[in-house]
Amino acid sequence: MSTATTSNSPGKWVVLPHYAFASLAFVALSVLLLFSTDAFSGHYFHPKLLTLTHVAALGWATMLIFGALYQLLPVVLDCKLYSEKLAVAAFAFLGVGSILLAWSFWNFELGWVLHVAACSLVIAFILFNINVAQTARKAPKWTVESDFIVTSAIWLLVTGLVGLLMAVNFTTPFLPVEHTHYLKLHAHIGMAGWFLLLIIGVGSKLIPMFLLAHHEDTKKLSWSYNLINAGLVLFIIDHLLFQTALLPVYAALVIGGVALFLLYLRDAARTRQRQDLDLGMRQTFVALALLLLPLLLVLVVSSRLALPQALLSSIYLVYGISVFLGFISALILGQTFKTLPFIVWMHAYEDYVGRFKTPLPKDIYSHALLRWQNISYLLGFILLVVGVLLRSEQVILAGAIGFTLTSLLYTANVFHMLLHKVQELKPFTYGNTKHA
Amino acid sequence: METQNMPEDFGLEVYEALKYIIDPEVGINIVDLGLVYEVSLTEEGVLAVDLTLTTPGCPMSGTIVTATEQILIKRFPSLDVKVTLVWSPPWSTEMITEEGMRQLEGKS
Repeated sequence: MSTATTSNSPGKWVVLPHYAFASLAFVALSVLLLFSTDAFSGHYFHPKLLTLTHVAALGWATMLIFGALYQLLPVVLDCKLYSEKLAVAAFAFLGVGSILLAWSFWNFELGWVLHVAACSLVIAFILFNINVAQTARKAPKWTVESDFIVTSAIWLLVTGLVGLLMAVNFTTPFLPVEHTHYLKLHAHIGMAGWFLLLIIGVGSKLIPMFLLAHHEDTKKLSWSYNLINAGLVLFIIDHLLFQTALLPVYAALVIGGVALFLLYLRDAARTRQRQDLDLGMRQTFVALALLLLPLLLVLVVSSRLALPQALLSSIYLVYGISVFLGFISALILGQTFKTLPFIVWMHAYEDYVGRFKTPLPKDIYSHALLRWQNISYLLGFILLVVGVLLRSEQVILAGAIGFTLTSLLYTANVFHMLLHKVQELKPFTYGNTKHA
Repeated sequence: METQNMPEDFGLEVYEALKYIIDPEVGINIVDLGLVYEVSLTEEGVLAVDLTLTTPGCPMSGTIVTATEQILIKRFPSLDVKVTLVWSPPWSTEMITEEGMRQLEGKS
């Protein structure tokens, strides 16, 4: 029998601040949304929309993913995180960069503060890349999940570098084509290269694990990886050099890759032994269902259909909303309650397990708050999408209120866990100490 | 579940003690989840347990090993306890006991 090592988990101060920051960023995002109902009636290149997108993508989603990944990377790669110090430094640079970037876009002051923000973010992404790559190098076995995670980190850095170039270009124009041309590149590398690949890499490991499903065949995942990267690389080359009408083909490659991931999950789900789906997993499946919306819309926005300009603008906005406030946010809202309770529980109770009767991770957060969070999220999302399509500020405001409520419920639950204290525990009693 | 070099009653006592350790994610004890591969007692009085986890790299590894050691030391204080985490054969859902399956189905 081969023997294994003890836990590879990083310290809690590496992981937990990311959850705290991300939850507060989600509240900030929702409040900003309340004051941005007038921004959804035109083009997506709007100061308020740029602010919302970057708070969602960086302060909320990337921040939480960084934190969760420092805990999950050792699970997926089966080895310790390379450096906790690098992780803490990346947290600081990502936090500062996100705040400064949001301030710059909201006030549309595109000078040195924006440059500092962009540099800070690129530094965070470089540190993150070093940490991921060096951790992956130590992995005892290279898997397709490792491919997804390492590649996604590289795409994150590319996204950041394109963003930095655009930030400099605001004050010192040097790029040969207009800004929105590069914005499309920046957005799609971030969405498909960073978020999608990372989520598939981690999700393909964790979702079957949470379902107690054992599915060994990873051919579909390998093809998923190949198709998404092929679609993205071809899109970048075409967009920079040729601008052909082949965009729907590249989009179809990415869609094919996502479809294979979903089929992999379906195969795994068929072997699951765990029939009960808790609220966190139900929300995860809601997120996977919401993923179908941007997949449909990417075909529409890449096909250059002869639609009225107003409708096309709305579709572009719904496309972005369906990625950041739809799929990614829904997934985080669910997976937070599959990861954070466990992390908090482990740090609080690992010294007591086996000696005292301890609560379980599911006992340290409020299921009622989580249920209402999931309901208000879905209502808020539907209202926001409908409001944007109808160009109704009142309906958008209703959606923003739904998101604000969601963010408050979520943050209350997150801080309830982060501030969890060990209660008085009862020791186990085994009767007498009879032995052989 | 395997026991070696020990009276059957004693083996059962060991497994009963290990049932106090609950997998925090699934909410089922590690014995019925099929994580305990082998329990043996050497002539020198060493109680050895081989156990695994549902996924290699699981962050619970340290916690489960320590908990197993602590619970056995407390239950059998005159014995030396040695707990080894193993990955071979890999755990699969077929290793869940009937009782474990009953509990899983009961949660649906």
